[in-house]
Amino acid sequence: MTELLIGLVATPLTGALVTMLLPRFATSVAIAAGVLTTVAAGTLLYGVGTRGALGYDIGGWTAGLGIALRADGLSALLLMMNALVMLAASVYASAYFSKTAERARFWPLWLLLWTALNALLLSGDLFNLYVTLELLGLSAVALASLGNKTAAVQAALRYLLVGLLGSMLFLAGVSLIYAGYGTLDMASLAHVAQAGPIVWPALALMTVGLLLKTALFPLHFWLPPAHASAPAPVSAVLSALVVKASFYLVLRLWLDVFAEAVTPAAASLLGVLGAGAVLWGSWRALRAERLKLLAAYSTVAQLGYLFLFFPLLQALPPGSARDLAVGGLIILALTHGFAKAGLFLAIGIIQQRSGHDTIRELDGTAQRLPATTFAIALGGVALIGLPPSGTFLGKWHLLVAAFTTGQWWWVVVAVIGSLLAAAYIFRVLGHAFGHRAYPNQPVAIAREEWPALLLGVTAAVLMGLAGAPLWRLLEGGA
Amino acid sequence: MLTAQWLYGMSGCLIAALGLRTALLHACLLHRLIGINLTGAGVFMVLIAVAYRGAGMPPDPVPHALVLTGIVVAVSATALALALARRLTAEQIND
Amino acid sequence: MSDTSLLVLDGLLVISLVTLAWTALAGSDARRSVILFMAFGLVLAAAWVRLLAPDVALAEAAIGAGLAGALLLAAVREQSRQPLPARIVSKRSHNKPGVNIALQWAVSVLCAVLAGTLAWALAHALNSAPQNALPRAVSANLEASGVSNPVTAVLLNFRAYDTLLELAVLLTAVLGIFALGPARPGYQSAGPVFDGLARWLVPVLILTAGYLLWVGAHAPGGAFQAGATLAAASVVLRLAGRHQIGLPQGPALRVVMAAGVGMFVLVGLGLLVAGRPFLGYPPPWAGGLILMIESAATLAIAATLVLAFLGGQPRPLAVRVARGRIAATPIPTGKPVSPEGIRSTEPHAAEACHRIQETQKRC
Repeated sequence: MTELLIGLVATPLTGALVTMLLPRFATSVAIAAGVLTTVAAGTLLYGVGTRGALGYDIGGWTAGLGIALRADGLSALLLMMNALVMLAASVYASAYFSKTAERARFWPLWLLLWTALNALLLSGDLFNLYVTLELLGLSAVALASLGNKTAAVQAALRYLLVGLLGSMLFLAGVSLIYAGYGTLDMASLAHVAQAGPIVWPALALMTVGLLLKTALFPLHFWLPPAHASAPAPVSAVLSALVVKASFYLVLRLWLDVFAEAVTPAAASLLGVLGAGAVLWGSWRALRAERLKLLAAYSTVAQLGYLFLFFPLLQALPPGSARDLAVGGLIILALTHGFAKAGLFLAIGIIQQRSGHDTIRELDGTAQRLPATTFAIALGGVALIGLPPSGTFLGKWHLLVAAFTTGQWWWVVVAVIGSLLAAAYIFRVLGHAFGHRAYPNQPVAIAREEWPALLLGVTAAVLMGLAGAPLWRLLEGGA
Repeated sequence: MLTAQWLYGMSGCLIAALGLRTALLHACLLHRLIGINLTGAGVFMVLIAVAYRGAGMPPDPVPHALVLTGIVVAVSATALALALARRLTAEQIND
Repeated sequence: MSDTSLLVLDGLLVISLVTLAWTALAGSDARRSVILFMAFGLVLAAAWVRLLAPDVALAEAAIGAGLAGALLLAAVREQSRQPLPARIVSKRSHNKPGVNIALQWAVSVLCAVLAGTLAWALAHALNSAPQNALPRAVSANLEASGVSNPVTAVLLNFRAYDTLLELAVLLTAVLGIFALGPARPGYQSAGPVFDGLARWLVPVLILTAGYLLWVGAHAPGGAFQAGATLAAASVVLRLAGRHQIGLPQGPALRVVMAAGVGMFVLVGLGLLVAGRPFLGYPPPWAGGLILMIESAATLAIAATLVLAFLGGQPRPLAVRVARGRIAATPIPTGKPVSPEGIRSTEPHAAEACHRIQETQKRC
């Protein structure tokens, strides 16, 4: 069972090598590796659900001397979301990239990105996390530049520089921790690390580095161009998964490894930045002229919601109220992953079929591409937070926690953000259902429309129903 | 506490900050990249200083291995950045 | 050496490091900055020898100063040769000076705060008793690691997983570079002096690489230093205007690129199948397995570093037979340039920076 942990890294990595060596069979090899990885992630989730947290010492060396992989409820859930979104986007990409040369370039990098995501979520070692962050950053940049237009290359270059600065700050923090505690193993650090002159600066440096990669307002400036100019399947995973990976690390460091060192003031600062992200991101999404840019700014806003939880979790005493809030935070993150990936894939279809993604010229899309439009609507339901989406559940627990702790102002932010989200989603749908008449066409669903639809259904319906088992898993595994 | 640790560690902090400043402010990509590389070098200096145990003592090998890894990662990233810049220049001249 | 003379040495090294870093970062002449950056790397390598980190010193000199410097210099040279379209020049600076000065001050203050905080925290860490548990664990398990150089033991046994992912980073970078377009055009044949130099330098570099790989088990050295040295041999051939620089072509090239990660994964999974942990070498075999992984890694590192220097996928070769010897020439796609160009002062050297600056401006 514990071998699954290393299997989740080794499978996509081996897949990457094979697609590189056999470019002619790249697509089938990649899909096979993707299915295997998804099965492994599912089995791991089941294992964590039944047995609790799992660990694996690489090389058989005890953690500290060697590197340990660890999976608890939080990481197993995120691994599962990664696997489902990556698999859906892989199926989509197999139709999106039609030329052999394009595929030969795309698949190895794609599987390396998957390797990096899994390795990051499983790593139990601070320096190893730095290496996984770099692997994630470089593979994401290389994929983003595949758009190959000037705008894509320019955005990728800036993305790379920002990512490098983020990793350097993270590494500086890691060095301080090693200087102070002589270990890089996160489980042992959780026992020994104390609030004080070493942990505070170290945590601050690591957090700033990670926030830069998570694109938390006002460090979000690099995200919209990079996510809006990449190829559609790449945009989907950049927005849904890659930013979420560094967010997961912030969560891990603040709630788990260095929980003792976190002060209410620091948590409130994250909350304020999150509020800024919700308001600014939603506003810019409303003003966007292109669909992809709208989706990218919506990512900035949706990431903001996740940070609103930090001051609330800091104020809640350990107990069931706090566990519920943590569950709400995670369900929000997962739902956004599915919804945003589905949205970007659907936008990609519109862009390919009509040659543009200008919102004002979407008239008639609902008639020509009904399934795609429906996928956008489903994603929209989840982004706004209408029931029965997972977002509704997540925001509900945000409200409960805010009223329990008396911090009602975060509710105001969440309500304004949701109204703005409703406005920008209905603006898109309004154009898509525009008046221009098209002769009736038979309703057909193309292969590349399925992934977007399924992701939309997962976000808008299934995640809302997954609440109860999800909380049980977090309690058992965390 | 050793004087050498202090000297190299503190100048590492200074060099990292100088590099970061250039990486954020300089308009020229090559300078920015040198800045990022020097930020890394400063952090590496901190790590190697931490590993030092005095003239007659064997140093801690773990930070040495970490820095070796860091050097290779840094050069990979620099190479990718330069390739992106090259492509960008070519695109802009073609336009 | 006495304590005082060591202190003087430390002082000199630290002062030159800070000065070199400062001067490399100041100014707008890109070539000057790159050369100062390389000098910084060499002094840093000296400082690391002084701090008893010879493995790191070798890697810094070869990769940090040598190859990174070569990459940056090649970029400067290329930028200063590009014909500059008028449109890019006309795009110059719409910035408001007031905003710029405020931004500069804010960032400078931020960086000063950063330096202060880092130094403050480091002072606290250095003031407390050194943490010796981990180095003790390393030496206690050194016997079982299969090598006697503790740095190699950490890099290829205790923390081998880091190294595996690091090789994946290197591979990712080169795949990303490949996706961006073909390699730079080659160089003209060098004059007799450089050619003669290359003739004896290349075999020496290859021998050194082999030695570093072998010696890494018990003394400073190892796959990364060896790979970088091997890459240097290839770069020297390239600078001498040779078209055959030791890189294989097509599928064989992909095999070499994948060799490092591939061997690691194969060994790791093989051990897993045999009932051992992933990368858990049985002690009697550890030395041999590590050497196997390191040999594959050396080739992969050398190939990827050379490809990074070329800046893209090498152009296909048109092989022709001349005077009974097989000579290969690349299909001409760009104007070849001489390696002397690197050393001679070019008229536009200082302008290179401004050009990249313009290309950056719109991002």
